[in-house]
Amino acid sequence: MLLFQSEEWIDKWCKRSHLECGEVLTIHQVWELSKLWYHNRLLLEYHGRSIEQVAEIFRQAGLTSKFWYV
Amino acid sequence: MLQGDKTSPLQKTMNEILLWQIRHFVYQHFADTTRPPSVGETAAHFNISTEEAGEYYKELHNRHAFFLDLETLTIRMANPFSGIPTDFKVHADGKTYYANCAWDMLGIPAALHTDAVIEAVCTESNESVQLEVSNGQITNHQLLVHFPLPFSRW
Repeated sequence: MLLFQSEEWIDKWCKRSHLECGEVLTIHQVWELSKLWYHNRLLLEYHGRSIEQVAEIFRQAGLTSKFWYV
Repeated sequence: MLQGDKTSPLQKTMNEILLWQIRHFVYQHFADTTRPPSVGETAAHFNISTEEAGEYYKELHNRHAFFLDLETLTIRMANPFSGIPTDFKVHADGKTYYANCAWDMLGIPAALHTDAVIEAVCTESNESVQLEVSNGQITNHQLLVHFPLPFSRW
């Protein structure tokens, strides 16, 4: 996932890379997602997560567009 | 677990509890030292052979617990940690970590439950930027993160 300073820069990069633009999140949205996604990553009990758990994380992070469908 | 004629004797006797202890050791090593343990270091820690540790590394790679260079068995990536230098530097707890991407640069302070100062490079403009996680909050910043592929294609 790449970092940009504006939507305009993202558009330029997508055009230059001949790629369809994906989903853009603010840095604050990514921080909220990161806390949900990584909070338990260092625990011995963490063995990965199920599709249902992934869906719940996206829901809690407010990521409900088709892009985030599991 | 692994099935079929190509399963090595070591894989057939793989200990599931040890497998996840090794995963945990790898992650804790990253957190403590900013770098992954070698197969040799893991073998020494668990008092097993290097060959056996290598088999456990491969099994964890196959399960996507982390990602290896399969020729050298060095750990390239254990998200959010990168095993090699990148444009996403995370300064936390007196150490400097490398993250794999713009998401993982926030994943490191989230995983460590600590504040951080992050130095990163914007992809198109090539400008360096700095942001902070302070008291669990991102300092005000207008940065954006582009996710190129939908989750179904990750």
